[in-house]
Amino acid sequence: MAGKGGATPATYSPSPTTNRKKKPPIFKEDWVRPDGRGFHQCRPAFFRTGAVNAASGSAYAEFGNTKVIVSVFGPRESKKAMMYSDIGRLNCNVSFTTFATPIRGQGSDHKEYCAMLHKALEGAIILETFPKTTVDVFALVLESSGSDLPVVISCASLALADAGIMMYDIVASVSVSCFNKNLVIDPILEEEIGQDGSLMITCMPSRYEITQLTVTGEWSTTKINEGMQLCLDACAKLAKIMRSCLKEVASDSQE
Amino acid sequence: METKSTSSFTNLVDQSVCPGDVVLDLSKMINQTIKLGGGLRQDCDAISVMKAGRLRFSKPHKYWVENSQKRYVPYAEDSVLGIVVDSRSDNFLVDIKGPTLAFLPVLAFEGGTRRNIPRFEIGTLIYVRVIKANPGMNPELSCTDASGKAAEFGALKDGYMFECTTGQSRMLLSSPTCPVLDALGKKLSFEIAVGLNGRVWVDAASPHTTIVVANAIMNSETLSGAQQRIMVEKLLQRIQ
Repeated sequence: MAGKGGATPATYSPSPTTNRKKKPPIFKEDWVRPDGRGFHQCRPAFFRTGAVNAASGSAYAEFGNTKVIVSVFGPRESKKAMMYSDIGRLNCNVSFTTFATPIRGQGSDHKEYCAMLHKALEGAIILETFPKTTVDVFALVLESSGSDLPVVISCASLALADAGIMMYDIVASVSVSCFNKNLVIDPILEEEIGQDGSLMITCMPSRYEITQLTVTGEWSTTKINEGMQLCLDACAKLAKIMRSCLKEVASDSQE
Repeated sequence: METKSTSSFTNLVDQSVCPGDVVLDLSKMINQTIKLGGGLRQDCDAISVMKAGRLRFSKPHKYWVENSQKRYVPYAEDSVLGIVVDSRSDNFLVDIKGPTLAFLPVLAFEGGTRRNIPRFEIGTLIYVRVIKANPGMNPELSCTDASGKAAEFGALKDGYMFECTTGQSRMLLSSPTCPVLDALGKKLSFEIAVGLNGRVWVDAASPHTTIVVANAIMNSETLSGAQQRIMVEKLLQRIQ
């Protein structure tokens, strides 16, 4: 069954030249971020609720060039209603439009994003308030420009609040990228490609609780502590913007 | 200490609140009773908000969060507009815009017996009262008031039904009469049924009047009382 004598065996190791990520010349003395921000500066955030008429609740979020729309449907009768559940079910789906990424036609469902969105929101929703039923969260990334998941999570939290789903607190999410010994908050796509590691925190700022922590790459203990502190501070500020958006809507509708 | 804590709550009354906001610290309150309505929960020594809306207060000591949403959470004694989606031997299945379908027993009508079971076709619009709304169970409805009389409940024939938010339906049922209904009622004659589940049924002699009333109500959601009156006047000027 072995190959013919003298034939070179087929290997699965990638070619060292073709598949290597081209890292930008980051952190030289004069290096600035591609969009001109400081290392510890987030992109301007914009939120709006009630973007989708047909949904129970919806929200639109824009972080720089990253644009996301989230619709929440339900609580509605669970398809698994035969199995009685005294707490509600949360169903999350994240998809990308075909024009979301620079390479056209790559729009698809992201299974790992769905699972991470579910984990991030599950701890904030009071599932006991809607037994036997399901809440569906559908996120659509209109334009992907880095830090997509944190934007999706924050936007989904706002959409859930807009739908009147009982929650312990609003959920805010921020990510940090590590380059050598430096930390960059809210990285864009070019920065994500060249990063050495990433840290994403999803938290409930009013309760000082973290619902999700995702770390990739190599991090030292001091760097992790610094990155977490950076994320938590940013989450607290982001939550203020989200609250002001919700309060604005509440005051408009009930004047 | 007591006055300070109660005033902190009073400061937030009629203000917008969000999930996670702490509206009262119980550790500073001594010998006081408060009743918590929808949207508030006790979290150790704090009262925190569970849903976005406005904090409301009713004397002597009841607090709740009032919000406007598209979905409806059934509560006992709510009057709602339902649509019959199926009929069984013992009950009708009714869609009341809630998380689950509601049951309307065939005997839950004035003088209801096995001999005179009402016949509702699928799609019939009915005005009903929620009598049971326990978590984990389908709500139960009735076509009678508390004394067993049919009152205003039953099937709604003809007319036009449209949907709005739960906040707007509460506004339409509020007393004194909502400005938009007050202004319309002075100039036009029509019949209206408002369900707390965000469904509104309008019937008038002409389709023209029905459309005007429906449009005026739909437009009024984000307007103040004065703006509602102006809007109705402009609408009526246009059609005369």
